[in-house]
Amino acid sequence: MYDQTFSRHNPGCIVILLDRSDSMKQDWQGSGTTLAKGAALALNKVLLDLCIKSTKEVGGAARHYFDIGVFGYGACPTTGGEGVESALGGALAGQPLVALPALFSNPLAVREEAAVPALASASRESSVDAMPMLSRMPIWVEPISGYRTPMCQAISVAGSHIYDWVGAHPNSFPPIVINITDGLVTDSPYEGADLTEWAQRLVSIETNDGPLLLLNIFLSAAGQTEVLFPSSANQLPEPGPDLFAISSPLPPAMVANARAGQLPMQPGARGFVFNAGLSSLVKFLEIGTRVADIRAH
Amino acid sequence: MLARSVCFALEKAGSAVWEWEDGAGASEGSPGHGLDPRFIVVDGATEAYDALRWVAQLVTSFVGVTGQPHAPPALTPDAMRGWFDRMQQRWTAEAPTQFTNIIEEWKYRQDGSFATLLGCELTGLTGPTPRWNAVALGDTVLFHVRNNQLITHFPALRVDDFGVAPAGVHTKSEGIAQMMSDLEIGRGELRLGDQLFIATDAFAHWVLQRLQRDDQQLWRVLSELDHDATFAALVADVRAAGQMRNDDVTLLRVRLVAAEPDYLVVCL
Repeated sequence: MYDQTFSRHNPGCIVILLDRSDSMKQDWQGSGTTLAKGAALALNKVLLDLCIKSTKEVGGAARHYFDIGVFGYGACPTTGGEGVESALGGALAGQPLVALPALFSNPLAVREEAAVPALASASRESSVDAMPMLSRMPIWVEPISGYRTPMCQAISVAGSHIYDWVGAHPNSFPPIVINITDGLVTDSPYEGADLTEWAQRLVSIETNDGPLLLLNIFLSAAGQTEVLFPSSANQLPEPGPDLFAISSPLPPAMVANARAGQLPMQPGARGFVFNAGLSSLVKFLEIGTRVADIRAH
Repeated sequence: MLARSVCFALEKAGSAVWEWEDGAGASEGSPGHGLDPRFIVVDGATEAYDALRWVAQLVTSFVGVTGQPHAPPALTPDAMRGWFDRMQQRWTAEAPTQFTNIIEEWKYRQDGSFATLLGCELTGLTGPTPRWNAVALGDTVLFHVRNNQLITHFPALRVDDFGVAPAGVHTKSEGIAQMMSDLEIGRGELRLGDQLFIATDAFAHWVLQRLQRDDQQLWRVLSELDHDATFAALVADVRAAGQMRNDDVTLLRVRLVAAEPDYLVVCL
């Protein structure tokens, strides 16, 4: 289980559920940026990293190692009002899952992001000497906030696309779903099922390599104590216990990656971070998307 | 005593031949000119920027291909550190002046390139104490075999040591301290008839698994490999059996012989 590598023959599927509710407009731990802006920046960086990983030949295009989905829930700037929609725009707008080469070729913009060097160094060593880290980066997702937090609907919408994807890729590494939120779910129960039931339905989707992995990160605007990859929900305030309960146990490769990043991991650690700051969000996204090796075939 | 080598290589299943990102080099030495035989096998990281250029640079410099600006490095920590410096400076000096797109430029600046390395030099082949000296960074492994029995392997990795984030030679200069910390140096005494096998990680991992199962035929099979197609068939079989990870594989075999063979058979 969780042994398959990512390849053109057996691509992976990574889906981000991005909270775009009104509370995401809060300042993030006095950083001068909002939760929405910070999350979008971190998300754009992880999409960039996936493109980087999937680019092999100098001058070549990205290889189809992944299908990517980014679903925003809360404000829906394209369809209007509250709901769930793809957060990818431009030529990718309206496409629930996008092949990585299409993502590679269709950023919304390439622009200066002053925080990018700090963002990169939060998780990595600095760049090659004499070649300073770029501050320009491609942008695929814009920061948006408004309305409430329809997390159940987000799982429902994403789950239906993921279900179809698994049918077409039965031998791939199981889909990875990463839910980024700062708030309490506001649509539970949704269509007769509460958040826990929707999550159970989601993780019941599986390939021949194992069940879908659902990871959750709860952002904290106030800078409370972070809890990274806990192995129990003891003493977590709401909504920590509920999000812990629906988070998948980390597979060995993710545990190894986290430990390689100097993060202590207890047996039974789950894919969950509570009260995260921006640096932890970046690390979380890296660990969550580096679960398996790419094999260049 | 002479060192004579042959190298077998195979790309990942499903990849094109040109997508093989390992590298290997051999310089069988020239006793008359005081040049000892040298061998190197490197494994370019799949996610690295332009792994082929980095691998080629390391291989040609280590074995001293004609036209290199510096002599090959001695296999000491100080000399290896100097060599790492030179390799990184050359990498940067030959950096592209422009990139196809912003993502490629990010890949160059953020990730750079990376390869595991096993370099080996044979000394004293005409004297009373012939030996191999080797340097290693990562999970490319040298196996020293005598009479179809393993004498030792270097570095002394176990089956469970392969996998996440091996050590290696990086293009980032700030990585040198870690590289020097990870650098391993080994040596062993040689006899006529001995064989050295240097293998990249997937193959080396499989070898160690076979040894764990006390495979008595392993070294005989590897000693008798005589054609690329035979090697490819062996790798395909063990991959199909789920015993070897689907990765580029390289196996460089060095034999210590008394004289050149009487016949040269060319298989076309």
